[in-house]
Amino acid sequence: MVTELHNVDLKTDEMIINMGPQHPATHGVLRLILTLDGEKVKHVEPILGHLHRAQEWQGQNRTWFQYQALIDRVDYLSGMFTSWAMARACEQLDGVVVPERAEYLRVMVSEMNRITSHLLWLGTYLIDLGAMFGFPFYPFREREKLLDLLEEIAGQRMMFNYIRIGGVQRNPKPEWFDKLKRFTEEFPDRIDEYEAIVTQNPIFLKRTKGVGILKRSVAQDYGVTGPCIRCSGIPLDLRRTKPYSVFPELKFDVITMDKEGDTWDRYMARILEMRESNKIIRQCIDKLPEGEIMGKKQMAGMRIKAGEGFAAVESPRGILGCYVTSTGGEKAFRFRWRNPSFCNLSVLSELLVDTPIADIMAIFGSIDVILPDVDR
Amino acid sequence: MTHDAKPPAAPAAPLEPGQYGQFLKEHGISSERLVDSCGVETIVVAAADLPPALKLLRNSSEVKLDLLITVTGVDNNDTYDSVYHLWSYEHINELVIKVMTKKTDVADGRLPEVPSISNFWSAANWHERETYDLVGIRYTGHPYLRRILNPWDWDGHPLRRDYKQPVDGLNDKNPHSMR
Repeated sequence: MVTELHNVDLKTDEMIINMGPQHPATHGVLRLILTLDGEKVKHVEPILGHLHRAQEWQGQNRTWFQYQALIDRVDYLSGMFTSWAMARACEQLDGVVVPERAEYLRVMVSEMNRITSHLLWLGTYLIDLGAMFGFPFYPFREREKLLDLLEEIAGQRMMFNYIRIGGVQRNPKPEWFDKLKRFTEEFPDRIDEYEAIVTQNPIFLKRTKGVGILKRSVAQDYGVTGPCIRCSGIPLDLRRTKPYSVFPELKFDVITMDKEGDTWDRYMARILEMRESNKIIRQCIDKLPEGEIMGKKQMAGMRIKAGEGFAAVESPRGILGCYVTSTGGEKAFRFRWRNPSFCNLSVLSELLVDTPIADIMAIFGSIDVILPDVDR
Repeated sequence: MTHDAKPPAAPAAPLEPGQYGQFLKEHGISSERLVDSCGVETIVVAAADLPPALKLLRNSSEVKLDLLITVTGVDNNDTYDSVYHLWSYEHINELVIKVMTKKTDVADGRLPEVPSISNFWSAANWHERETYDLVGIRYTGHPYLRRILNPWDWDGHPLRRDYKQPVDGLNDKNPHSMR
């Protein structure tokens, strides 16, 4: 009988499994339709739109002043960058000159925001990998300190509405800079702490080394940006390649991995980026000039000159762009967002093919996707 | 959906072709130059010329516009525009390409058609799906042209100027609503 069984051609079917949208590790509501051959993923189809809030439609139906309060919600972990992208696009059109002090404050708060975003990613990524031992509280400790500082100047923990068209909303008090300086002094030691726990942890290495390798050609084909493409060996960082604001005057390194990036490289790149951001904040505190902080009068009936333009900033997830068409009225004619999460997520169907199902979350988490940013 | 004024009018005299318009002309693709959008060259090409033009711009070693930033659909006053923002991974080159389909050329009940580029440029895949979903431009030859942000059975294209919102069962005044 046994020999007969060996001769039988066992029929193995591919299995279609639905994953999400309510899944603890998808950072929101992403639904994946997986085609599995045993444990191996053969095909992935992401289904988006569960968080679609018609942000572009609202841009056409709100005044400029109303809309700039709304767009922090596009990417709730890095609200400063969405505000900044919109502000830059509108300033380009309108020919507004932003005061230098405002530019330094913008760089300062956005780099703080970049650190908070990477810290939250670090904490949740370790949970995604199964590290349920309380590691997330380490990065969240520092994140809370930064959010307190941001709350002090903006009035809100995460939906700041601090960067406005023409400048920034208000001047921080002198004590605020002292607090921030103290934070930047102790922060590198804290990063050392995280690294001591995570970087050479054998379980972490086993889960991340050689997993989810993003080839350079694939990344370019899919328009991937941010830390993901820098880990694949392309030094694309808008702060350096198309410097905006006061970045030409600041010294910092662009973190580029000189090989085909795997999941561990993307972790390391974000750790190193936090160190660079910390340096940038310290330089900004030292160089901050006195002066005005607003170059355009803020009022409900604000108008932007007619024309069209595209402006982008380097957000924690990649190139965050904003394409605005104005007719000179109180509302925009057309708003279009280029969201880094949307573009980076599209490469997922390429990355997941032929990986075990257990690696899905390790790979998906390492791209650092924010679902409200995908769905808008 | 209301808007205050008309979009910027085209200048009376045709503009001289810029750097990229000249490059395309040398390779036998004609284009028309528009007013620069915030200092970035903006050109219009015919729908049929779009895939060869993008292939040329992406692959040539001198131009190398190999980063597709977005594909945007715009419901303009007289035209449906499909707008392509091209950047480069290595240089600081930028270009905006538009394909404009006149509204009078689109038959009733049909969608404007533009050739898809997602067969040779994967970055365009989701952007084209989104533009189809929200603005209603049909990208011919797209491998999987389905709605991406709205549910698959959604009616209409929400970013069209003539789009009517579905009846809101909770908040509107009609007698059949739930209130």
